[in-house]
Amino acid sequence: MKQDAATARQLGLVNCHDCRLLVETPQHAPGRCPRCGAHLHLRKPNSLARTWALVCAAVIFIIPANLLPMTITTTLGAKQADTILSGVIYFMQSGSWEIAMVIFIASVFVPFAKLSILIVLLLSVQFRSAWRPKDRTTLYRLTELVGRWSMVDIYVVTILVALVKLGAVAAIEAGPAAVYFAAVVVVTMFAAESFDPRLIWDVIEEDV
Amino acid sequence: MTDRSQAEHHAATAKIQARRGFSIVWIVPIVALVIGGWLAFKAISEKGPTIAITFSSAEGLEAGKTKIKFKDVEIGQVETIALSDDASHVRVSAKMIKGSEPYLTDQTKFWVVRPRINGGSVSGLGTMFSGAYIGIDGSKKGNPALAFTGLETPPVVTVGQPGRHFTLHAETLGSLDVGAPVYYRQIQVGQVVSYGFDQDGKAVDVKIFIEAPHHTRITENTRFWNASGFDVSLNAQGLKVDTQSMISIVSGGIAFDVAKEGLPGEVAKENATFFLYADRNATQEKKYTVRNYWMLLFDESVRGLSIGAPVELYGIKLGEVVDLSLEFDLDKKKFQVPVVIAVAPERVSAAKREAALKMVESDPEAFMKVLVEQQGLRAQLQSANLLTGQLMVNMVFVPNAPKATLSRHGDYRVIPTTSGSFEKLQESLSRIITNMEKVPFDQIGAELQQTLKETRNTVNGFGGLAGKLDQETVPQVQATLVELQKTLVELQQSVGKDSPLNYNARKTLEELNQTLRSFRELADTLELRPQSVIFGKETKKNE
Repeated sequence: MKQDAATARQLGLVNCHDCRLLVETPQHAPGRCPRCGAHLHLRKPNSLARTWALVCAAVIFIIPANLLPMTITTTLGAKQADTILSGVIYFMQSGSWEIAMVIFIASVFVPFAKLSILIVLLLSVQFRSAWRPKDRTTLYRLTELVGRWSMVDIYVVTILVALVKLGAVAAIEAGPAAVYFAAVVVVTMFAAESFDPRLIWDVIEEDV
Repeated sequence: MTDRSQAEHHAATAKIQARRGFSIVWIVPIVALVIGGWLAFKAISEKGPTIAITFSSAEGLEAGKTKIKFKDVEIGQVETIALSDDASHVRVSAKMIKGSEPYLTDQTKFWVVRPRINGGSVSGLGTMFSGAYIGIDGSKKGNPALAFTGLETPPVVTVGQPGRHFTLHAETLGSLDVGAPVYYRQIQVGQVVSYGFDQDGKAVDVKIFIEAPHHTRITENTRFWNASGFDVSLNAQGLKVDTQSMISIVSGGIAFDVAKEGLPGEVAKENATFFLYADRNATQEKKYTVRNYWMLLFDESVRGLSIGAPVELYGIKLGEVVDLSLEFDLDKKKFQVPVVIAVAPERVSAAKREAALKMVESDPEAFMKVLVEQQGLRAQLQSANLLTGQLMVNMVFVPNAPKATLSRHGDYRVIPTTSGSFEKLQESLSRIITNMEKVPFDQIGAELQQTLKETRNTVNGFGGLAGKLDQETVPQVQATLVELQKTLVELQQSVGKDSPLNYNARKTLEELNQTLRSFRELADTLELRPQSVIFGKETKKNE
């Protein structure tokens, strides 16, 4: 980005989020889009507060998601409850380390990484840091990209529950952690959505 | 510049609206917090105690998997399995659910439930499917405890089971084992719980448990006997085979009944002690607890007298010979035979038996002294069996006996003896000879001849009877015995070690085991690779 190029804000313009119409409007109170009627925002409204709230919720949900059992397997009358991590360890010990890796990355690494990135971004904006804005934007893009994939575990559980219904021989049920895990994924997706990456650049713009 | 003016020109004017206030998005983390807090509270409030159990081996146990079940209800799970410091046993640490605390006392028993085939029973078959689990027999009695020693075999009787425990005192264990049945009129009413040596290791104490309501059948006069195997008896009524059940032949058993004489008496209390007789017949013999020892000094041959020979008074057994030896008396310069006898005063019945017994027991010496000095009680050797020449000790009252009293020899009081019946025989013989002269022999001779003739007829008749006995009855008895032997051999063949029945049973069990194993493998595969249901079994690349 060239430093001398003007931004919409500097020109007193607002880009409609829905129909992308450039609207000239007072920046403290942008109203509605004259073309499509959408609410106009210079930046996403309450972006920081919303993202903080959703991130907090995700942090709380991730605890039961990892401590409670994800799947309950019944094999020949023996019940076996597995949390995400115990499943990973089980697959690693039984030799299928590829599956273990997939589950670990999708269900443990990605959600934690996403939450950490969001917290770092939020803190950096909150404290008006000018540190490496480009890298931080890359991180943000990464969270958006990777977000949908963390649902892999939920898909696996759903498919297993539907597939393995062999009566007394073997049956798999979803454990209570599945709900919390799904909540973590959904809430972090909303959190990533409500974060406005332009906030990263606003600090640099104002400093110039 | 032109760009900017164009943008200004084309930019539309927005409709102005008031800004919103508080963001309702904060409800989301609040809800999350409430749910999280509730979960945490639940987890903390449902946390049960952690206990430690030691076993000699962890066979079949798996950390994080093996369950602890009380009456088949899951109340805990094994957390860790570790060796003890000296590696002599295994320490299992388990997490119990909340509410299990009242059952965790020092009376509580733990054991590993595995498939077991024992004597007449098969148990724990369910664990072939699901793997071993730890069974618990919770007891609310006793002090709370968190460390336990696991049993190697499941307890026969659970704590809550109504009934009563008894101790049986036996000379040998026989073929009894833990779990062996206890029968009353051939119906099983209890089991052997444990056995061990008694305090000084000279006998065996067998602990049994009689289930309610049959425990009230055990009274003071109940006699227990070892009903292991079968008894064969041949008597005037014929051949009789007595057994309780097939199981008792294999794994032993105990039976009981009320003694023939007398009333049942009061119901026996918990842990009452009884004597375990070797067989049913032995229960009919009375058991005598009081024995008085006396010595007899003989200066004649005791050839034919052995230890265990009876001591009789008026032909009724009073006691037995317990010791005999030969010794030389230095003062009198002669040999003598000291014989020690044991007399059981309880064998004597009396109108006021209890009082009489008390008197005898309190001072047997004084009692015996009266008998010896005033009534002339003496001991003499008498032939017990003319054919074998066995001797026994006979106590006699000699009215005109020379005065004698109880003397002391070593540790024993000595009852005076009188000469045996041989000397008496000589006296009688001389008397007979003097009387013989008066006998009218010719008349007797004629009558004798007549008698002999008749006798011969009678003997001939006897001969016919004997022949009949020989021809008919004996072969039948023999045939019966041969049949019995055959039956026993067949029984041995059909249930013995290498019999087809046994082989088939073993084979079936093996096959069942294999089937279950493959079943288990299928389940494992499904658990490990559920995709194989759809995609089939994957083959490993490096194979």
